[in-house]
Amino acid sequence: MKLELRGITKTFGSLVANRNINLVVEPGEIHCLLGENGAGKSTLMNVLYGLHLPDAGEILIDDVPIVIDDPKDAVARGIGMVHQHFMLIPVFSVVENVILGSEPVKPWPFVDYRASVAKLLELSATYGFDVNPDDTIEDLPIGTQQRVEILKALSHDAQILILDEPTAVLTPQEADALIVVLRSLKASGKSIIFITHKLKEVLAIADKITVMRLGEVVGHTTPAETSETGLASMMVGRDVHLTVDKKPATPGDVVLSVSDLHVEDDRGLTAVKGVSLDVRAGEVLAIAGVQGNGQTELVEALTGLRAVTAGQISLLGNELAGHSVPQFLEAGVGHVPEDRQKHGLVLSMSIADNLVLDQLDDPRYKSFWGRKLKAIRENGQRLLEDFDIRAQSESVPTGTLSGGNQQKVVMARELSRDLKVLICAQPTRGLDVGSIEYMHRQIIANRDAGVAVIIVSSELDEVLALGDRIAVMYDGAIQGIVPPTTSREDIGLLMAGAHIDKGALQ
Amino acid sequence: MTIDTASPQAPHSSRVLSVAVRLREANMFMVLILAFFIGLVAGGILISFTTPDVTSSWSHFFSHPGYTVGLTWDTVANAYSQLFQGALVNFHDTHQMFQNPNKANVAQFLTPIASSLTYATPLIVAGLGLAIGFRSGLFDIGGQGQILAGGLAATWAGFTFHFTPVVQVAFEILVAVIVGGLLAGFAGLLKAYTGAHEVIVTMMTNYIMKLVMGYLLIQPLFALGLIHDGQSKSILPNGQLPQFLDHLSPTLALNFGFVIAVLAVVAVQWFFNRSKTGFELLMVGQNSEAARTAGINVKRATIITLSLAGSFLGLAGMLQVAGVTHYMDPTFGGTYGFDAITVALLGRNKPWGVFFGALFFGFMYSGGHIMQASTNIAFSLALVIQAVVVFCVATPAVVIELFRLRDTGKFAITGGAK
Repeated sequence: MKLELRGITKTFGSLVANRNINLVVEPGEIHCLLGENGAGKSTLMNVLYGLHLPDAGEILIDDVPIVIDDPKDAVARGIGMVHQHFMLIPVFSVVENVILGSEPVKPWPFVDYRASVAKLLELSATYGFDVNPDDTIEDLPIGTQQRVEILKALSHDAQILILDEPTAVLTPQEADALIVVLRSLKASGKSIIFITHKLKEVLAIADKITVMRLGEVVGHTTPAETSETGLASMMVGRDVHLTVDKKPATPGDVVLSVSDLHVEDDRGLTAVKGVSLDVRAGEVLAIAGVQGNGQTELVEALTGLRAVTAGQISLLGNELAGHSVPQFLEAGVGHVPEDRQKHGLVLSMSIADNLVLDQLDDPRYKSFWGRKLKAIRENGQRLLEDFDIRAQSESVPTGTLSGGNQQKVVMARELSRDLKVLICAQPTRGLDVGSIEYMHRQIIANRDAGVAVIIVSSELDEVLALGDRIAVMYDGAIQGIVPPTTSREDIGLLMAGAHIDKGALQ
Repeated sequence: MTIDTASPQAPHSSRVLSVAVRLREANMFMVLILAFFIGLVAGGILISFTTPDVTSSWSHFFSHPGYTVGLTWDTVANAYSQLFQGALVNFHDTHQMFQNPNKANVAQFLTPIASSLTYATPLIVAGLGLAIGFRSGLFDIGGQGQILAGGLAATWAGFTFHFTPVVQVAFEILVAVIVGGLLAGFAGLLKAYTGAHEVIVTMMTNYIMKLVMGYLLIQPLFALGLIHDGQSKSILPNGQLPQFLDHLSPTLALNFGFVIAVLAVVAVQWFFNRSKTGFELLMVGQNSEAARTAGINVKRATIITLSLAGSFLGLAGMLQVAGVTHYMDPTFGGTYGFDAITVALLGRNKPWGVFFGALFFGFMYSGGHIMQASTNIAFSLALVIQAVVVFCVATPAVVIELFRLRDTGKFAITGGAK
């Protein structure tokens, strides 16, 4: 099935989300739609999926103009969508989720489960999916849940699949597995529209690439014709440095010393098993590892959020283990949490309030008579300016900002305190190229100012770009601490739990 | 999406036009106005269907259409006129007062409004208490029980001690606030340390307090005497809230409790806007995970929230007993604890919103009774109008759809991905 969008324009109030977009997707093609957050990719796909009606322009399927004004319409015409946040019912089984909304009823009023299961098994066999129809969704890993979403679209006989940032929620391994799945779909003649802002992926799987910026298509290209840098500059509209410019670190004294730390996770299982680390002033210690190897619990322990079962955390000689979060904050621990929306911000509150969220007792913002609203506002205006946070004003709710700007708010808040240690968990997850560049510069600037920095990231590129030393975590323990000159393969092996001869590395 | 809007909207549009545009917008003000309108229309339809004269006149609709429509209109208009006069000012009494402004006439003029404000007073304070809980993410459904607890404590203090007037009243407030706060704070403690859901626990305390009150009222400590079964001793005159206007007429009821209620509104306004604790409670209510990350003790916040909510409800009970009834019997408290939930909802949990929401309830209460006394229409009609208004305010989407208001995104109606 061939899909064509011709001159699509969509405005929301005074904001032009899409301006005169032209796009052709041939059968059996993986078409990457690349652009920064807010470039209009999602709006365009929502137009295609019938969630928005375009103000102008037309949609053609096999050269016939059609109108899609409802997602049901889109599904009936063979368009399937896999949203970034899955639309699955966690307590239902795989097969129940797949047939939800189009249950085969035979004989009335009974749902024909046996036929549904048979159809599902046939589908998953065709495309090499490995799913058990009877598994409950909430028990499945994210990558498998995503396959269920894809299966759901395929079960409606989708010829064109739209995947909205499918790899944002996946581990690197799951992302690789997804790419295999997409290739097999392509081989069977399906078209795929792949929305992303990750450049490596685009180059790895795209047949054609369309780059969008500020609601307009800025160019069409193919992986053969371009490179990461080329794509990045197209996306951002200026030259972008994908590598971080940094001087060699000049480490000072040990600021944070962790020894034999043990931490339990929510289920009471030991998630951090005897981690010992020293972080010095003026260096970045990057912690690499596949998600779920205890990094989250380690960061929570290092910021006072999670109780320590054994071991010491000493900051400049003061023991912090067993202390409360405010005492960690007081001691100069800055924390950029993994999930900014869940842990870092109160989205319904203003930017100015979010910028003092963990500084309510600071005499600059509080007097005997209550919170100093004027000082809080002025601080907001200043940080908006200093950190280049794009917002109408400091008084708008933080939830109205893009992901990159939200992350800047968290970063600005933490850096506006007097820090000894800065702990950033996944500092650039879900951010676009421009924002990543900015975050990296901020982190290095703080390192150079003498802050001891810990970065936890599942992006190997980020770990290699920022770390002065790289600690690899596997199964709750530090598998090895290596210099950033170590090859990707060796770090990959450490991440997978292999032991590497230390002599060979150093 | 980042939206940098310097919207280039037509600058030459006349002021009239822009007002017209504003009126089509889905903002809270328009929703409120239209909610009242819908409530009145719904009430009007009910009146015309339930008044025998009107319904029988419809059988002559084709022979005397003017008569039928006229009668319907007159009936509804008269009912609403009585409702309004009973709630705010009586037209006849106003005229009398301007003709002859003596004490009796002024008192007569002030009677309806004083009655409305008196009814609204405990509701304002109780609504504030619940709003504190709702804004901090906790649903205190135990208002009724906490009102009884506060009332009992205040009554006991009021008939037991013999302090000077100001001290006596202050002492009653103190014990009512403490007892109400402890009762709800207990639910907070259970929530914080065992995870027991506050809705269940507070709801249960309603039943417990109802029975505790029944028990205490027949005990020698509280009971007035065997012949007055279930009635408590009265609060001594020193402990009663002073009446404002009793020099005009001894029956004119408006007590100092209303002033306390207004002060409470101001205090809660300050608490959420300016105080550190208030801000922390809001944070916990909006996103408890982020609050925890920012160093806030969520368990402590839970206990503070419910204790504070309970304190206000205890105060509401005290205001009712010290200002109005002066003693307790098994009917004490009416449905204040539950009405307060609706008042908080109507006021969107904003202090002044709660204030006006409670006044609305007060107006409907007094007006409804006058309407019932002077027409054939039952008091329940006032409750119907009240319910329709609350329904419309709680579901702005209905109002916005009905009147095709322009969705400005102030209410999340068209749910989208963003």
